[in-house]
Parts: sequence; structure tokens; C-alpha cells
Amino acid sequence: MDIGFSEQDLQFQEEIRAGLNGAEYPAHVKEKQEKGTALTKQDLIDFHKFLHSKGWMGYNWPVEYGGTGWSPVQIYLFLNELAAAQCPTILPFGLNMVGPVIYTFGTQEQKDRFLPDILEFNTWWCQGYSEPGSGSDLASLKTKAVLEGDHYIVNGSKTWTTLAQNADWIFCLVRTETTQKKQEGISFLLIDMNSPGIEVKPIITIDGDHEVNSVFFTDVKVPADQLIGEEGKGWTYAKFLLAHERFGIAGVPVVKVQIDKLKKLTANYNDTDLNKKIAELEIDLEALEFTELRTLAAIADGGHPGAESSILKIRGTEIQQRLTELYVEAAGQYILPYEGPEGFDSNRTPSGPEYASPSVAQYLNYRKTSIYGGSNEIQKNIIAKAILGV
Amino acid sequence: MNLNYSDEQNMLREQVLKFCETNYDFIDREKILETEAGYSQDNWKQFADLGWLAVPFKEENGGFNFGPIELTVLFEEFGKALVVEPYLSSVVMSGTILENSNHSNKSSIIEKIIAGEHQISVAYAEPNIGYNFFDCLTSLSTSGDKLSLNGTKSLVLNGGNADQFIVLANQDGSSVLISVDSDEDGLSVQSFKTIDGQTCAELSFENVSIDSESILASGDEAEAIFNKMINVSILCISAEAVGAMNASYMKTVQYTKEREQFSQPISNFQVLQHRMVDMFIETELTKSLLIKATLQLDSNDPEAGNTISALKVQVGKAGRLVGQHAVQLHGGMGVSNEMSIGHYLKRFTAIDSMFGNTQHHINKYQTK
Repeated sequence: MDIGFSEQDLQFQEEIRAGLNGAEYPAHVKEKQEKGTALTKQDLIDFHKFLHSKGWMGYNWPVEYGGTGWSPVQIYLFLNELAAAQCPTILPFGLNMVGPVIYTFGTQEQKDRFLPDILEFNTWWCQGYSEPGSGSDLASLKTKAVLEGDHYIVNGSKTWTTLAQNADWIFCLVRTETTQKKQEGISFLLIDMNSPGIEVKPIITIDGDHEVNSVFFTDVKVPADQLIGEEGKGWTYAKFLLAHERFGIAGVPVVKVQIDKLKKLTANYNDTDLNKKIAELEIDLEALEFTELRTLAAIADGGHPGAESSILKIRGTEIQQRLTELYVEAAGQYILPYEGPEGFDSNRTPSGPEYASPSVAQYLNYRKTSIYGGSNEIQKNIIAKAILGV
Repeated sequence: MNLNYSDEQNMLREQVLKFCETNYDFIDREKILETEAGYSQDNWKQFADLGWLAVPFKEENGGFNFGPIELTVLFEEFGKALVVEPYLSSVVMSGTILENSNHSNKSSIIEKIIAGEHQISVAYAEPNIGYNFFDCLTSLSTSGDKLSLNGTKSLVLNGGNADQFIVLANQDGSSVLISVDSDEDGLSVQSFKTIDGQTCAELSFENVSIDSESILASGDEAEAIFNKMINVSILCISAEAVGAMNASYMKTVQYTKEREQFSQPISNFQVLQHRMVDMFIETELTKSLLIKATLQLDSNDPEAGNTISALKVQVGKAGRLVGQHAVQLHGGMGVSNEMSIGHYLKRFTAIDSMFGNTQHHINKYQTK
């Protein structure tokens, strides 16, 4: 065991840093991120295309599928550099979710068809998991797919679908059979969002933002060769994906940067109470960060992210939420004026600290983190069952 | 000691409850929030007709001579329905200052408030002074034989709708409370929506000329009146928070009984039951401090101010716990703007931020 980074690691870090500060990095994205302005769909596409141009998109993929094959330490350094440079979060739907499912369980034809577009960000993916009646109890899902000739006919609805309004494709859990055991009749389908019969309706969250949607399917025709793996085995792939999803969900590098930012913003407050709370949060973050490194190391040794990744999800989201509370506390009464995620008109902004209004929006928005990706209660059930054996 | 509400107080509660049931479901409220004013003039008229706007005022000014107990009854019920009408700013805050001032015209102004024809907002906060309201930079100065007011006031509740303001300012290093009409030359008003769907405004005063009769109070007297106003206001929003907590845990219990996952109502799960029990416990503890503070204020107990700080701390902590648990137990529905539950969390967040947040009042609280 040793804790230091090698000479090569440090050189790698330097390369990433230089790349992010280089001329190719989209300037409009940088400017908006620094100002805290909302990014458009095109901004996000530009950012991901930039990552691809540097050969970094598949940062956690194996080389044989076009990934970087980086070591855990390199991945760690890479994500930290992205956060430090105030980059947008890499969208997980293609890269961390459906991508690994396709290269692990898909046919050669599916790998050839979908993986390059994920790495080049030619396709925007979204996740069709939750349904109005199936949240924590995901396996009870009802969206139905019936095979008719060489097509599935899909009917039903999905909800809380993040950024479906931008998506080209959706990966869906569908019921292909009604079985005794609800997990057994589930299949994993890839569906073109432009298919006739798909309707996307926005859901506005309590911060006023439009991030999530309902997606309705009415007699949607899906070619049978867009089924992943075997019919009825979808639950296995779904669980594999969820374990991958939980990895990175802790958001450690971003939290680190956000803590630094809060410290700078409040440096002249001389608020010892606030400073103590920030210190406590930092201590918790250190423990979490090293837990994540241990998980990464285990994966590098050939392991799969298992139930331990639930620790990352639970504690990571708790820390994220506490951080938003500290921002709100620091801003005090100046959180009151708020007119939506677009911010105020530049010619009529309320006085008080500029971070106040975005802070309260973030606080409200981040209540979702302990709910999504398998609620924290469900994560604790997973640990209880899979690790403690109770 | 008697901790029972009187028949009259129970009747008032019934009346407000009934009004909210008939006129204030979530859809009604959404429609009100979309209006330019951000509150319903029809509701305000009804408040006046029902006599609610007269509740805290003295009989000599046309009021009912009720006190803190009746105010908390009103606000608890307002909290359950998340009522947005500007009762706090126009009646409680402005009324408390006016009634305790020596303003020659106060009876006629209060009459207009009671009739629902006049809105007044108190301008106390500023961009850079946090919760130290007396450190304000807005100043009243003498130029020749005239007084003029300069500075910026922020977060003025309902300020965009106000006909008149009561402004906390500084005159040669001592505090003054000044009445300023909203159409005065040199005063500009910019209104914003707030995080919880209400409105607040930023006022900018540029050489606004003030006549000496508009000074409602000055020096120690002004600060004493102002502090009294803050205490009553904290009491009212705390009562509102108690009502909102009540509604939050009851709605959550209801939802978990109806929502089925794993082939059973999720209320069957012990981990959720305990969360809801915690919500209930916090609500009851808050209600206890609320009653203690109410009765101390009602009897002019010198301890009242300290209990108000304790109450504000409890409201901050409990509001956060109850609001967050309520959202969590509603799952995705909890963060959806289309459901009322997330709006309670917004109101708790706004309430905690006003008149000193939790940490401010922890520091202010004097241990015994």
C-alpha cells in the first residue's frame, strides 16, 4: 500500500489540466459555467464533443470498446480536474448507463451500431426506468412490450425521465411477460425517441426547473434487434446498470470545488459557526472520497461495483444536500427573491449576495438526490440484505 | 395556568379553517400565485368583511383588541393552507409599529387597514447588513430646513403592492421609523417573486423629502417598537410554521397509506413510520414553545424575547426536518411543483431565513 501519486500520474494530471485550459475548450461553456448561467442543449453537446476530440469520452470504458482504459487513479485525477475547471457534469445516460450494458450484454451488431455514437456524443440517451406506479419497487413496472413479427409494440409510460426533452434514444425496462416472479418478465429495450407514438411531457420541479419528464408510449413499434440480451433477463442488466449508476453519483470532485467556493464567498463573514459546519462537512467528504478510491481500486483488480456502491450513493447525496443547506444558511434572508432557474433580468436584480438565489434553487433541487437512483432507504435495504445478510 | 383556547378563539379557528377549505385548495392558490399582485384582492376583501384584519388592533382604533393568542390561531390555519395574502406585512408588522407610535394620524390609517383599503409594508432589511437591522445605511439627513431620505431597503414583503411604507432608517447615528407614501418623488420600487411564491420589493430612496410629522418614532423608542414588531412577527410566522408542519405530516401519513410499492402501502414500512413519528414529535415540540412564547408575550413577561429566540430555533430545525422528510416520503412526487408538499418545504425555508435564521437565534439565546 502507498498513498502517493506516481510521476506518470502527475504528468497525466498536467496533461488533462492543460487540455481543459487549452484553446479547443468551448469558451461559451466556460463563460456560462463561471457565471452560473444555465447551459443549453447545444452547450452540453459542445462540451461532450470536446471531450471526445481529446479522446477522453470513454474515460471509464475498456480500450476494446473505444475507451481510455485508464487506471482508477487516472479516472480519479481526470474527474477532479474536470470539477476544478468548472466543467459541466458528464451526462451519465449514455456513457455510464446504457454504454456498459451494451458492451457487456449486447450483440456485436449492437456494439457497432451504438457505442461509437455514445463516445462521439452523436446520440443523447435518456433512462426509461421509473413509472408512476413503480418507483422504489422498480420491478413492478407495467410498460408492456409485445412481440409481433420482427417488432415489439410498446405501450405504457415512464416518469422522472431526466432531459428526455433533449434525447434521441431511450433505454427502457419493459414487461414482455407476466410471470409469477415480477423480476422475470422484464426486458431491456433501446427505443428511438423519434418513433411515432412517443410523447414527452415536462414535469416542473420545486425549484421551477424543467429537468424531468413523463414519457408516454402508445403502440410504439420497436425493431426486435433493439432488445438487449435475452428476453426476460432485463432485470439482470438493470441491476448491473444501477450498480454502475451509483458509481460517480457521490459527486465528490464537484462537492470539493463547491466547498472551496463557499469558503471563498464567505471568507469575510468571520462566521465561526458556519466555518465549523464547513469543516465537519469536509471531514465527512474525506472519508467518502477515500471510500470511493477503495471501490475504484477494487474495480481495477477485476471486481464489479457491488452493494458497497450504495455507501457512496447514500453518504454522497447526504453530503451534497448538507452543502446546499450551508449555502442557504450563509446567504441568510437574501434567499427570498427567486424568479426561476433562468435567473433575474440583468437590468433588475435584487441586491444581496449573487450566490443567494442559485443557492436556494440548488437546495430545493437537490432534495431529489436522496430519492433518485434508488432512494437512500432502498440503498440501505440493499446493504442490509447483500452485505449484512439480514 | 390554563392552556385551553377560549370558545371565541376556537370559533375564530373554525372560521379560518372553513374559509381555507372553501377558497384555498392547492389549485386556487396556484391561480393566486400567477397574478401580478401575487395575492387575491377578493380574499383580502373577505378577510376585511370577516373582521380578521381588525384582530390585533385596539378598540379605540376600531380593532377587536385581541392579542398574540388570536394572531397565532389565525396564522396556524394560514400555515396549513399556505395562505399568501399579506397579513404579516400589512396587519402585523405595520400595525404593531403604527399602534405603538405617537403618529397623529394613526387611527385613520388603521381604520383603512382594517377596511382592507390600505396596504403598508415595513422596510427593515438592507443589502449588506444581514440581520443587524439597526446598522442600516439608509439615512435621514437635514439639508437646509428639509429632511431627506437616501438609501436602499431590500426584501420588503409585499412592497410592490404597498400604498405606504414604514422605513427603518438612521438619523445622526440613532434609529428612526419613518412613514413614506409609495408615490413619493425619489422613491423607486422594484418587485420580485419570492422562493415561496410571495413577493418582496427593493426600495431605493433618492433625496426623498420627509416632513417631520412622518417620523413615527426615534431613538430608543423607535428601537423598542421595532423589536416588539419583530417579536410579534416571529411569533406569527412560527404559528404559520406549526400549521404547515401539521399539514405536512398529515398529508405524508395520508400519502404513505395510499401509495403502494412491493404490493403494500408504504406506510407499512417501519423506517417510514419512524420518520413520520419524528415529524409528529417535532411538530408538537414546536407547538409547545409556540404556546409558551405566545402567553409570555401576551402577559408582557420580560422572558418573552428569549423564548421567541428559542421558538425561532425550534421552528428552523423542525421546519427543515418536517419539510425534508415530507418531500422524501413522497418520493419523486415530493419534488414536483404540481404537488403541495414541496411548497411547504419552500415556506419553511423562507420562514427560517426571516428575522434571523436558526444560527442567529442560537447565538442570541441567553442560557439560564
